[in-house]
Amino acid sequence: MKELSRAQIRDLMGQVLKNQGKVLPDDDAADLREVGFRSLDFSELALRVEDETGEELNFDAPGLRRIATVGDVLDFLVELQRQ
Amino acid sequence: MSVATAHRAAAHLAGADNRIVVDGTTLTWRDLPDLNLPGPAAVLAHSVRYALAAARHHAVHGTELLLSTASRVDAAMRDELRDAGFTVLDAGADIGVAAEAGAAAGAELAADAALPARPRPADPGRLWLLTSGSTGRPKRVGHTLESLTTVRGHQPGRTWLCPYAPGSYAWWQVVTLSLTQPGQHLVVVEPDQLDDWPALAAAHGVDAASGTPTFWRRALHRDPTALARVPLRQLTLGGEPVDQAVLDRLREVFPATRISWIYASSEVGAAVVVHDGRAGFPVEWLDRAAPGRPTLGVRDGELVVTSPYHGAGLEGPVHTGDRVEIVDDRVLIIGRLDSDEINVGGSKVSAGLVRDALTAHPRVAWARVTGRRAPLLGHMVVAEVVPSPAGHGSAADPADPPEAPDEAALVRWCADRLPEYAVPRRIRVLTEIPVKETLKSDV
Repeated sequence: MKELSRAQIRDLMGQVLKNQGKVLPDDDAADLREVGFRSLDFSELALRVEDETGEELNFDAPGLRRIATVGDVLDFLVELQRQ
Repeated sequence: MSVATAHRAAAHLAGADNRIVVDGTTLTWRDLPDLNLPGPAAVLAHSVRYALAAARHHAVHGTELLLSTASRVDAAMRDELRDAGFTVLDAGADIGVAAEAGAAAGAELAADAALPARPRPADPGRLWLLTSGSTGRPKRVGHTLESLTTVRGHQPGRTWLCPYAPGSYAWWQVVTLSLTQPGQHLVVVEPDQLDDWPALAAAHGVDAASGTPTFWRRALHRDPTALARVPLRQLTLGGEPVDQAVLDRLREVFPATRISWIYASSEVGAAVVVHDGRAGFPVEWLDRAAPGRPTLGVRDGELVVTSPYHGAGLEGPVHTGDRVEIVDDRVLIIGRLDSDEINVGGSKVSAGLVRDALTAHPRVAWARVTGRRAPLLGHMVVAEVVPSPAGHGSAADPADPPEAPDEAALVRWCADRLPEYAVPRRIRVLTEIPVKETLKSDV
């Protein structure tokens, strides 16, 4: 199975935000609310990851967690690919 | 021929001398192969010529008939038909050739037929259609030649294009017109001619054509110049939701042609015909009862039709399964109820309205909108589009750019016109408009 690196997922996240007229900050600690990255954007990013890897992500597998920063999103999706 | 058969033939074959162009050859109804069909017969046509021959046979003899293309009927459906008392015949493949050669010698088409599993008496005059199956397995709907003949009275002479799959409701509409009215000629499009039908139509002087919006979008997309050479006086759309964008683009190519759209189905017959060049029909037409005309209603967002042209056993109001939306003074038919609604995190999105927003873009020739499983929200709106050919727009007009839009541009276009949750976030660009045998693309 093809797996995207954290950097590749970051690029995709940048594209999602760019399409919405927003900018992804360099700092992984940036707060998602301040960036304007919302549930629609998160879902789109997940679909982009799926399209790149050709595999459906299993969101039922990991436990719930707090996703508040850019880094949280990237960590979560990296981990999800390995489920 | 018996006296009764002769009367029937006279009534239903008034167009016997009309020209029919099949596979590049010009014939009349009289020149078609003479089939020998047992009733009830299910004729699975492998070629248009034999489908037309079966239609003529029914018009003359009234033999109970189900007609379909062979490709639509799988082994299970063949068994189902035999269980329902039909003799199942393949026409136009090897057997068809034998029938044509044998017509003079009196050979029977039924030689290799699959006999009914449960024989029953025929129901003379009955014609069976298979529904398009867009909601699952095709269903049989009973009609007669009379209930399928919705164009009556004297018509101006026309040469009609017939691009539809044999046996479909739309196919019978064009075929009954030519069978029953002198001066209504046919130019039949075989499946392998679908891409280049404008050249065929122009060569044979086609001046009237009916097709699905997908059929017209494909023609506009492939070669609008070739399309413009077809000397159309009448252009009709039906079988799928008709949006304003496709009507407007056809009007650009055919400024003087009468452009109509029709809502018709195997179940309710022809129920709505609109000639004013606008999508949807006037809201005043709702719940208006008139003798001999269908009554249209909207119940819980669904189009409900009570029609004198409905199929057998469908008396009374028929719930069409088509979703409608009233916008200003028009009733718009959006799409199928069971597939149109996409639930995005609890917000309901009409795929049809998103599709209309996309096709309203000057550089989008076709769009399909669906829901895709997504985290957090359950589903997201996604789309596939086919850009219209380069050169359609002009550099001077920012609303009509010459370059094909990319995903980001289309997302922005939709974001300006739709609620945030309805904006398609993944948009795949295709190079060709997909089409099925029904001439639909299940948008």
